[in-house]
Amino acid sequence: MAIIEAFDVDKAFNGRDILKGVSFSIKEGSIIGLLGPNGAGKTTMIRLLNGVINATSGKMKVMGYDPQTEGDEIRKRAGIVTESAALYHDMSAWDNLVFFSKIYNAYDPKRITHLLEQFEMIEKKDQLVGTFSTGMKKRITLAKALLHKPALLFLDEPTNGLDPEGINDVIHYLKKVNKEEKVTIVICSHVLHQLETICDSFLFLKGGQIVEKGTRRELEDRYLTEVTLLVETGLLPIDPKTYRGFAYIRKDRHIIEFHLPSKNEIPGLLKSILSETWIHSCEITNRSLESLYFKIRGEKHE
Amino acid sequence: MNKNIIAAVAQKDIKNTFSSKKIWVPMIILPLLLCILLPAIFAYVGLNTGLIGESTKDLEKPINAIIKNFPSEEVRNTLAALPTLGYKSVYFFLNFMVIPFFLMTAIINSMVTSSNSFAGEKERNTLETLLFAPITVSELFFGKVIASFIPTIVITFVAFLLNAVIVNLITYRIFNEILFLNSTWLLLMFWVIPALVIFNIVLNVLVSARVKSFQEAQQFGGIMVLPVVGLIISQVSGLFFLSPLTLFLIGVGLLVANGILLKLIAKFNQRNTLFESQIH
Repeated sequence: MAIIEAFDVDKAFNGRDILKGVSFSIKEGSIIGLLGPNGAGKTTMIRLLNGVINATSGKMKVMGYDPQTEGDEIRKRAGIVTESAALYHDMSAWDNLVFFSKIYNAYDPKRITHLLEQFEMIEKKDQLVGTFSTGMKKRITLAKALLHKPALLFLDEPTNGLDPEGINDVIHYLKKVNKEEKVTIVICSHVLHQLETICDSFLFLKGGQIVEKGTRRELEDRYLTEVTLLVETGLLPIDPKTYRGFAYIRKDRHIIEFHLPSKNEIPGLLKSILSETWIHSCEITNRSLESLYFKIRGEKHE
Repeated sequence: MNKNIIAAVAQKDIKNTFSSKKIWVPMIILPLLLCILLPAIFAYVGLNTGLIGESTKDLEKPINAIIKNFPSEEVRNTLAALPTLGYKSVYFFLNFMVIPFFLMTAIINSMVTSSNSFAGEKERNTLETLLFAPITVSELFFGKVIASFIPTIVITFVAFLLNAVIVNLITYRIFNEILFLNSTWLLLMFWVIPALVIFNIVLNVLVSARVKSFQEAQQFGGIMVLPVVGLIISQVSGLFFLSPLTLFLIGVGLLVANGILLKLIAKFNQRNTLFESQIH
């Protein structure tokens, strides 16, 4: 079932088009990556879906409600993590969460305690938020977004300003929330490798338009016309350019990069290498989300 | 409108006001100086030393002229009956000149709290989150107006009480009447000042929801002090006399203005317009 549907949504600011004919739908319970360069319209899309700004034209349904006329119904059921950690720095973590829970009409000390425990912040609950690191603030913001047990969670650049450890933590919490509380999650980001493991499918936004959408597998099928395979092996082919008809480049003494027309060629290739010598590892290097992203951007650019 | 949400916003803002020394210390110092210490010192010096009587010698003629032309007969007679120029000055000062100080304190304090309201949220990047919450813009405005009103009015009333007690302790044995316990002062404190404070707050909240920064909001708020400065000058020169009726009418005028401003707020501050003008 679709939890979010958008049909032909346009948004213009002061005569400048931000979004043009955006249509998509998001399945309930999934984690969606909304990708695109800065200024592509990702944040605007989130604001439209929450009904805090109005679309110039087009139709949207979020959990069955129209954001333009029934925004409060959506806001009651959706949580948001905005790009800036929007907390009161002169208040403690606990007081911040108490305040926001009251605003969401969902004040429950047990829930606040539970979330602080989940995000490993319970010991710091009485410290002022102003003294927290970026990662700690992010965790409190996530707790804030989950106070009212939302069915839908919007995250705008949730990993901005975090160190690798902080990013891993956030990804870990999001997976957990998605699984345990059955929350549908929409993540906006331009940092791609972080999203690879967590998102079920992706929407690519560029210049205010959806240029591509699909699951990782669908995107791979569409864009992966050549497979780059990095193999750590003792193989020493006689031909300096090809091995059994596949082009290769020697990267190091024991590392060879093969270029294959499709993934289906991999088993055959490995089998014949193994019949001659050893293999320690093998990896497809050009199917990271990042390389797909540049491919999609590049193609849609032309 | 949801009362709990309004209360939560108001509580949070009041707590915020009193958690920042930079905000509450000036809010206390101003009334302490203008509304408590200054009247008390003036009363003590005027009644117990010849200082004020001496220094006003040159002004004896104009002061007597003001007394002679004073619109209220009762006050005119009381003033004429007082033996020295010092006593007359003190009586006149306490009854009429202190009024603008209270007005000014109320205006400045409400300006400090209210100009901080929307602009403060914006500066802390929290307005965006608030607008993303299921809270109506009216609830937000209402909570903010209450949060600015309560500290201002409590401080003003406490200052009035302390001023009345201290000054009367000094003056009662001489004037044989309790000062500040007359219709003019009671109307001022419990009718005009609350209406004025609400007017100032609503205007400031409206402005700070429109301007870009805290400073801009305060600058605008500063303009509000000008009418009071005018009032001080007219009081000193005896040009304009705040009779109970005038005070009552000023209060009515302010209440009507408050109604109009609230209508304007409801009309011009939809979530979408607020969001698009304030969040970038």
